[in-house]
Amino acid sequence: MNEPTKTISVKRRKLLQLSPLVLFAGCDYSAKGNVDSFLTSFQKFTDWTQEKIFDPNKLATEYSDEEVTPIEGFRVNGYDTDEPDIDMENWSLTVEGLVKNPGEYSLEQVQSFPKKVMNTRHCCVEGWSMIPKWGGTRVRDFMKSVGVDEKAKYVAVECGDDYFTCFYMPSFLHAQTLLCYEAYNKPLSLQHGAPVRIVMPTKLGYKSAKWLNKIIVTNEKPGGYWEDQGYDWFAGI
Amino acid sequence: MNNTEKEFHHPPIIRITHWLNAIALLIMITSGLRIYNASPIFDFRIPSVFTLGGWLAGARQWHFFGMYLFTVNGIIYLLYNLFTKHGRETTLFRKKDAAGIIPMMRYYAGLQKEHPPQRKYNALQKSAYTVVLLLGFGGILSGIAIYLPVQLSFVTALFGNYDAARVWHFLFMGALVLFTIGHLFMVVISGWSNFLSMFTGWGRKYSEPPTL
Repeated sequence: MNEPTKTISVKRRKLLQLSPLVLFAGCDYSAKGNVDSFLTSFQKFTDWTQEKIFDPNKLATEYSDEEVTPIEGFRVNGYDTDEPDIDMENWSLTVEGLVKNPGEYSLEQVQSFPKKVMNTRHCCVEGWSMIPKWGGTRVRDFMKSVGVDEKAKYVAVECGDDYFTCFYMPSFLHAQTLLCYEAYNKPLSLQHGAPVRIVMPTKLGYKSAKWLNKIIVTNEKPGGYWEDQGYDWFAGI
Repeated sequence: MNNTEKEFHHPPIIRITHWLNAIALLIMITSGLRIYNASPIFDFRIPSVFTLGGWLAGARQWHFFGMYLFTVNGIIYLLYNLFTKHGRETTLFRKKDAAGIIPMMRYYAGLQKEHPPQRKYNALQKSAYTVVLLLGFGGILSGIAIYLPVQLSFVTALFGNYDAARVWHFLFMGALVLFTIGHLFMVVISGWSNFLSMFTGWGRKYSEPPTL
């Protein structure tokens, strides 16, 4: 008569012994949620500090031609698509939002400004970097010509591969932010974002969006492909 | 050895900053190794089990939280050691400690039986605790060099360039890991009472040096 009771009690004890594990698992789950939300909030703080540190007049180092990364080292990151939805023949850049002259601008119009050539370091968020020879139109020249409202806070850009990203206006109008259409004195290749990409040496590489299709000037804070997944919104360097 | 004789070792601010530093360093190293794995500078990757953050974005969030904890906590610790009598006399290496280095080395090498007289820390401990402060500072400075190579380009220039600063940052981390291993080894051979003193503040009388 004693045996079954014993068995049951042992089972119950075992079960009770396990219960803290169940509780712990529960705690662990909610703790992870709390940690994630804490880190996300803290990231808003680091983004804020980066915005304060950012000096719109501070230029990234421009390297000599000897220091330029050889063209074999002109890297493409692993997330790029092979077939961006870009019509090279009829490409145009759409400008929307808080500008005097919204509309579509042709490649010729984009290229009609003084060309800036610069050897600046492209720093990927992964840690690698390279110094390509970029060439293009200063974003500030183009944006002034379309009558940008410089008091607007944000700029969002959209790309041919469904990529999108975003900037504060002062970063976007920085003297070294390019509507880049050349690399190494040649038209940008498709894999590097042809016909026009952003190059922004004051930010991590994921802000230098390829296959640019659209620029939207806005006062509502936009998101970005990586930014929405946990990467820094400001991404200054 | 008379274990009942105790002496006050660690004021609260030292105990608090010590343990916060331990947490901060653990966060910085494990999240940093995850960031390292995204684009290794050497010919190896770190097994995921030693890393924090799950993926690059998570690791960066941890790293940039940890850097504030590590830096602010480190500054408080440094200020205490620089501007209080207790801190200056016990932890930081000063000129007059130089004479104690050779005797302590001889003692540890077994060439000298008598433990040289000491107060809280001997000359070698003071060297270690002072050097580790410099290593922490180097870690922070090389971190700034790769965090803000445009806005604070003069910091990056101290290390040569961006890529060199990444290597320096990794080396400072490695040196801090080596220090921590040595530190933990000394904690183990110094015994339980010494370990507890970093929680309670009270430990063995200074006049009784640890026996090996």
